[in-house]
Amino acid sequence: MDWLEDELRRALAREEPPVGFAKRVIARSARGPSGARRWLAAAAMVVVAVGAAGAWRQHQGYQTKQELMLALRLASAPMHRVQLEVKDISQ
Amino acid sequence: MLTEAVETGCDFRALVRQHQATVFSIALHFLRDRATAEEVAQEVFFSLHRNLHQIETPAHAAAWLRKVAVQRSIDEGRRRSRRPQVALADVAEPAACIRPGDPLLSELLRKLVATLPEAPRMVMVLRYQEDLEPAEIAAALEMPVATVKSHLQRSLALLREKLARCGVGESGWTG
Repeated sequence: MDWLEDELRRALAREEPPVGFAKRVIARSARGPSGARRWLAAAAMVVVAVGAAGAWRQHQGYQTKQELMLALRLASAPMHRVQLEVKDISQ
Repeated sequence: MLTEAVETGCDFRALVRQHQATVFSIALHFLRDRATAEEVAQEVFFSLHRNLHQIETPAHAAAWLRKVAVQRSIDEGRRRSRRPQVALADVAEPAACIRPGDPLLSELLRKLVATLPEAPRMVMVLRYQEDLEPAEIAAALEMPVATVKSHLQRSLALLREKLARCGVGESGWTG
């Protein structure tokens, strides 16, 4: 092995991280997800909840519309009959 | 998670203590900035904590940490690449005489390694910090072994040339 490789090994030898590094990493890992991640998760839940509520409202509106249309159709048949009778009498 | 750790021998605390110097030094020697190296090393260990269930053996943990440290350091280096970097020509030649084993020579070499492009710089860090064989470096960097060997040869030749211009070398040490 040549002198340059020896010198490179010396120059690039492993160095210890700052004091307390391992403690800080272990403590933060034990706390779970970071604040930012927690906020992101909460925001995602809010978006899902708002979306679900909107979809439910839309579904309810559609159902109400269908019921109203059915009621109108049912009511329109006798009305049409009455209208025809009135027309006959007037003629 | 504790049961898994007992079964695999991969206790998170033990892994942090055992590999903190490796992970921190890969980032430090690649980025040449202690504060950034500490941030990168922390992120690597947080990532390990999230993925501990995938780790099968202590050897797997060591290889995993090395690979993630390499990737995170390269990513951080790319983010910082918009800022001005040290060029080979900008590295000052030593004013005083330098002898083998001199801390000044170590510092000069670290500066010169920092001027290498991304891939050869990481190859040099893994070869001389971690003492990895070209095949192991190739696996960590996902590149062919021949490319690793080529990076090593060219980088050594470049450093030798620069050092010779500084009057540092086998044939004639300064002083």
